[in-house]
Amino acid sequence: MFNLKKVDWKLVLGILNGIFLLYLVLADDKERRHFEELALGTENTATPGLVEGLAVHCHDLVDADECLTNYERTGRPRPVLLWLGNSQLHAINQFKPGEETAAPELHRRFQRHGDYFLTFSQPNASLQEHYLLLAYLLSRLPIETLVLPVVFDDMREDGIRDSLIGAFRDQTTIVFLNNSTIGQIMIANHDGQIDFSNDMAALEDTVQERSEKVLNSILEEVWSIWARRPILRGETFNWMYQFRNWVLGINPSSTRKMIPGRYAKNRDAFVAILDLAAVKKVKVLVYIVPLRNDVKVPYDTQEYSIFKSEIEQLSKNSSAHFVDFESLVPGQLWGSKSATTLGGEQELDFMHFQAGGHHLLAEALYQELSMLRSSP
Amino acid sequence: MIFNSLTYLLLLVFVVLLYWVLQYRARLILIFTASLTFYGFWRVEFLPVLLFSAFLDWSVAQQMQSRSERHRFYLLLLSLSVNLGLLIYFKYLIFFVENAVSFANLLGVEIDPIAMKIILPLGISFYTFQTISYTVDVYRRCIEPERNFILYACYVTFFPQLVAGPVLRAAEVIHQFANRAAFSLDHLFVGARWILYGLFLKVVLADNIAPLVDTGYSMSLVTMSALDVWTLAFLFGFQIYFDFSAYSHIALGSARLMGINFPENFNFPYLASSPKEFWRRWHISLSSWIRDYLYLPLVGVKVHDRSIGGLGSATADRRHLKPLFFSWVIMGLWHGANWTFLIWGIFHAVVIIFYRLIEPSTYSFRGWLRWWGGLAITLPLIMLSWVPFRAVSVEATFLMWAKIFQPSQYTWLGMRENTYLIATLVLLGVFSTYAVREKILPKFQNLKLVVSVVDIIIISVITALVIIFLRPINQFIYFQF
Repeated sequence: MFNLKKVDWKLVLGILNGIFLLYLVLADDKERRHFEELALGTENTATPGLVEGLAVHCHDLVDADECLTNYERTGRPRPVLLWLGNSQLHAINQFKPGEETAAPELHRRFQRHGDYFLTFSQPNASLQEHYLLLAYLLSRLPIETLVLPVVFDDMREDGIRDSLIGAFRDQTTIVFLNNSTIGQIMIANHDGQIDFSNDMAALEDTVQERSEKVLNSILEEVWSIWARRPILRGETFNWMYQFRNWVLGINPSSTRKMIPGRYAKNRDAFVAILDLAAVKKVKVLVYIVPLRNDVKVPYDTQEYSIFKSEIEQLSKNSSAHFVDFESLVPGQLWGSKSATTLGGEQELDFMHFQAGGHHLLAEALYQELSMLRSSP
Repeated sequence: MIFNSLTYLLLLVFVVLLYWVLQYRARLILIFTASLTFYGFWRVEFLPVLLFSAFLDWSVAQQMQSRSERHRFYLLLLSLSVNLGLLIYFKYLIFFVENAVSFANLLGVEIDPIAMKIILPLGISFYTFQTISYTVDVYRRCIEPERNFILYACYVTFFPQLVAGPVLRAAEVIHQFANRAAFSLDHLFVGARWILYGLFLKVVLADNIAPLVDTGYSMSLVTMSALDVWTLAFLFGFQIYFDFSAYSHIALGSARLMGINFPENFNFPYLASSPKEFWRRWHISLSSWIRDYLYLPLVGVKVHDRSIGGLGSATADRRHLKPLFFSWVIMGLWHGANWTFLIWGIFHAVVIIFYRLIEPSTYSFRGWLRWWGGLAITLPLIMLSWVPFRAVSVEATFLMWAKIFQPSQYTWLGMRENTYLIATLVLLGVFSTYAVREKILPKFQNLKLVVSVVDIIIISVITALVIIFLRPINQFIYFQF
């Protein structure tokens, strides 16, 4: 009955070897890494924005409650200055202990005037995501001023990350989004979007959802590989990302072209943000982010200048205050980051600067915001 | 229950172990209860519909045996009416009502929209076709009616193929339930291989292509270029192929663990060199069902009783164009109550009719030219046919199709570079897999060690990736049909 000659040894060995491979990948006991953070590279450090031990800089809906609770702890209603942005806001290049980003510095400076400066940032955040987050926060905070950096790179992004899609379940947010065409498109797209943060997305409201949760938790307890699969998924995508860059010779200096469809959606989201702010009587400071320009900029120069002038024009149309900070941070305050290709060397970083750059940015924003807020 | 889950794998292990231990009657009860459990894990309230449909056809077939031809015909009509009635109610009623209201409004008759909420029972299109084929086969005297209800119910509800096929014929499987195959390790290893490959196709390929497709189809049609249309057509074509063939692989593998053989449902469909050949390679059990229970009766030709062959093997001449067209309309609507599916069916009808007309003129071409030329024309056509399957509306379908005929729409790219790169890699991957499996490996059969090492490496990588990505994050696309 059990004739060993009939055993498919190739299958057996293949499966065992596959499992062994997974142990091998996890052998160096890697810390949990989020794929979105991998692009930062080891030269950049994501820094928590803390003031007196309390978070004044959050990222998404996962930690939003912490920031909202900290605001409520202040006891009395204080006007909020909300800063939305990408990883430039939370990453410090060549970080040294004791250094901090612009967010806590600005928080302290505005605190002296009785105001509350709060920051939210996500890697490669698109303007559609800023729009969603603003709509979500508007009903939770007395936002008086919005600080909105606009990044050419992020005009290439589309969709809403898993850690923000919870905002679509908030009715007030939906009401705000429904006031614009792009908001309606975002809602419609979300309806068909797979929630990749939910491993059981296909089983919602079924009996199997319960059995699956039980089986998963048992397996996670008895088999370490199962519990660490999110890390393995991140490592797989990271390897593919580096492999692609290696094969095609892509690095941070490679020219990034405008993607018309995504550009248009993010531009529409930008207009929708300004409209929503106008309706809610929120003052807006729009700025073009500092960019490393002591070397050739990794954009098509014509596309980049069209982008800047378009953002400036749209801001003026909505009476938002516009500033171009492109050259704010000098070359020596930028740096490099670890290779984004297999076996590659250090590469130039065009987005993240050193702590000195954060200080310059904080100072410039403080001046502009003071001017904006004193204007009628 | 969804295949790409721990719950299913646990159920499968449990059932397979008991299957090889239990004797005849207990074994049938095991399959039947396992199948009901499998179905009930989705929505238990739709079990009565499934059982009613099965019981009705079993009873009708029993009655047919001792009745006159006329009565047999009435019984057949009864079975068809009830089965199709259920299908129409659950699947098409909302569509009919909505369109009737729209049409009335168009004519100036003001009718308020009627709010209806009908949930489509999972797999109803599959098991309805299966039970219909049973009744029709008994009516045609192709098979004897099965006296044992549990045995018959195993055929209708057998969990590996219950919700998304293959659409099996009674003659293919009932005897396999009745007479268990002798136990052999082969069953277990072959079945396990099929399941492993199926899980790889689903959780590694289909589920990771899905977000690219979703993002692409959600972009504005204004900024979508012709190259984007082609890329999205190909990407969705691959997604649905991996997704559906994954289901078939797991179904075949699960059945094989119990020594039960299903006919293959896919055979490298995108390597077809003609539309006719495509339908001999894609969802073979459905296309052969349409052939045997719709198309051939309409043209008055003798039917087959096996779910192999596909639509393309049907007898054809110009007189049969109307039945062919009608068959494709039904084929389209079988997939869903939406005008986009109808357009999909009509598209295929037109392509096949056109191919039938030009096929004779290709006989003089050399073999390689016919194959490569046919492939170069068939593949893009088939991929374009998926546009209505995935597009949000009829209007979007035609706008996307229109773009590919406008040279000015080829001057930009509207999606991230990765999307084009992945589409290209997947296309090359499918062709390479075919070339390695069918052309290269057979030439190295003498180098057994090399072939074995390659096999082990491939299985290692597949296993590792399946473990990493196995999670019920996305249903199988064909569940919605």
